[in-house]
Amino acid sequence: MMSADGKVEYGVYEVFVQKSHADHHVHVGSLMAPSPDLAMQLARENFLRRDSAVNLWIVPREYIYTTPYSSDFFAREMDRKYREVGGYTENGRLWRLFKEKTLTMEEIVSHIEET
Amino acid sequence: MTEQERLELFMERIRRGEKIEATDWMPDEYRQLLIKLIHMHAVSEIMGAYPEKEWVPKAPSLRRKLAIMAKVQDEMGHGQLLLRVVEDLAKPLGKNREDLIEDIYHHRVKFHNVFHMEARTWADAGVIGWLVDGAAIINQASLLSTSYGPYARVLKRICAEESFHMQHGENIILALAMGTPEQKRMLQESLDYWWESLLFFFGPPEVTPAAERMLYYRIRTLTNEELRQKFLDKYVPRILSIGLTIPDPQLHYDKELKRWIYTMPDWEKFGEIVKKNNGPKSRERIELRRQAHEGGRWVREAMLTKTAV
Repeated sequence: MMSADGKVEYGVYEVFVQKSHADHHVHVGSLMAPSPDLAMQLARENFLRRDSAVNLWIVPREYIYTTPYSSDFFAREMDRKYREVGGYTENGRLWRLFKEKTLTMEEIVSHIEET
Repeated sequence: MTEQERLELFMERIRRGEKIEATDWMPDEYRQLLIKLIHMHAVSEIMGAYPEKEWVPKAPSLRRKLAIMAKVQDEMGHGQLLLRVVEDLAKPLGKNREDLIEDIYHHRVKFHNVFHMEARTWADAGVIGWLVDGAAIINQASLLSTSYGPYARVLKRICAEESFHMQHGENIILALAMGTPEQKRMLQESLDYWWESLLFFFGPPEVTPAAERMLYYRIRTLTNEELRQKFLDKYVPRILSIGLTIPDPQLHYDKELKRWIYTMPDWEKFGEIVKKNNGPKSRERIELRRQAHEGGRWVREAMLTKTAV
């Protein structure tokens, strides 16, 4: 794209890398490129010189809708401990009274993997 | 490349433990099995919110009310994540969100037996949170290694949120187990009511032809019976530790066979409930889902209309 004063101006692309099939794409930064094809090439050179990946997304910045940084969009009107594992730490103490222990996701996952 | 060569390359990828993505070529059978499994999973999350939602107005304290509401929100959220996975798979077949939801009240998709049952008491709400969720978590944790990438990624997020559900369920149960004689009796009655449903949840011990195909494609990696055994490993000692009696005199761990021996649940009775949606609460909850979906139609349509300024 050519700007009014005759300078060459490339489009901005945001870059998202998927490191493995187990991961979602994660935003890693942005770059400027004359076309989506070249943005893809440049994204590989800029962000994947060492790290490996299985997939890459590039998105023209104008297609990204964003929240303002200063707004009450993310306001927490009250304590949300009741939604979190950390809100139930007394379970460990209570299970000890019954000579048992609290069950965790890690314990289940490792039990599943045992054959 | 011939169809046969494509299929062979695909199966080699599966055997190497590679993940299949939505944009990859896949055999129709693989697609159909995934749609069937994940659609049922998604719908079970949504219908699974109903028994607990019924306890939101009746929860015994404000904190319990907030916590059980949070769980209901999570279940609906999980339903949404899973439906997205099904939608991408079903798009080439011309099916969308509307169809997937309507399938519930046209009885074209099943959901887990436990969500057809009644949540009669607060202890039932607790047992649902602890053991029904516990059974679902065993199942979901085993699916983390599924060959279908988008499903595996969504399950990772779901399992992270399930960590809270586990603690939430344990907390309700522990409070009742340490409570008054009446609360303890209520808890025991609840376990008696749910036990058979919990065993049924994992499905028949024999490997059905459909399950065999899912194992072949590594959509699942464990059989129903393996999952049921894993559930019993983790939960039976905890159930007994809090002074509850499991309503099955046959139940014991056979050290030589290295497995739990248990009385079979009534496969026919629960099978009918799931197939025909004729459990104690099936019709009522499905009707609520229909009303919510049909009643919200005008809103969904209005949202698509450009506002005239």
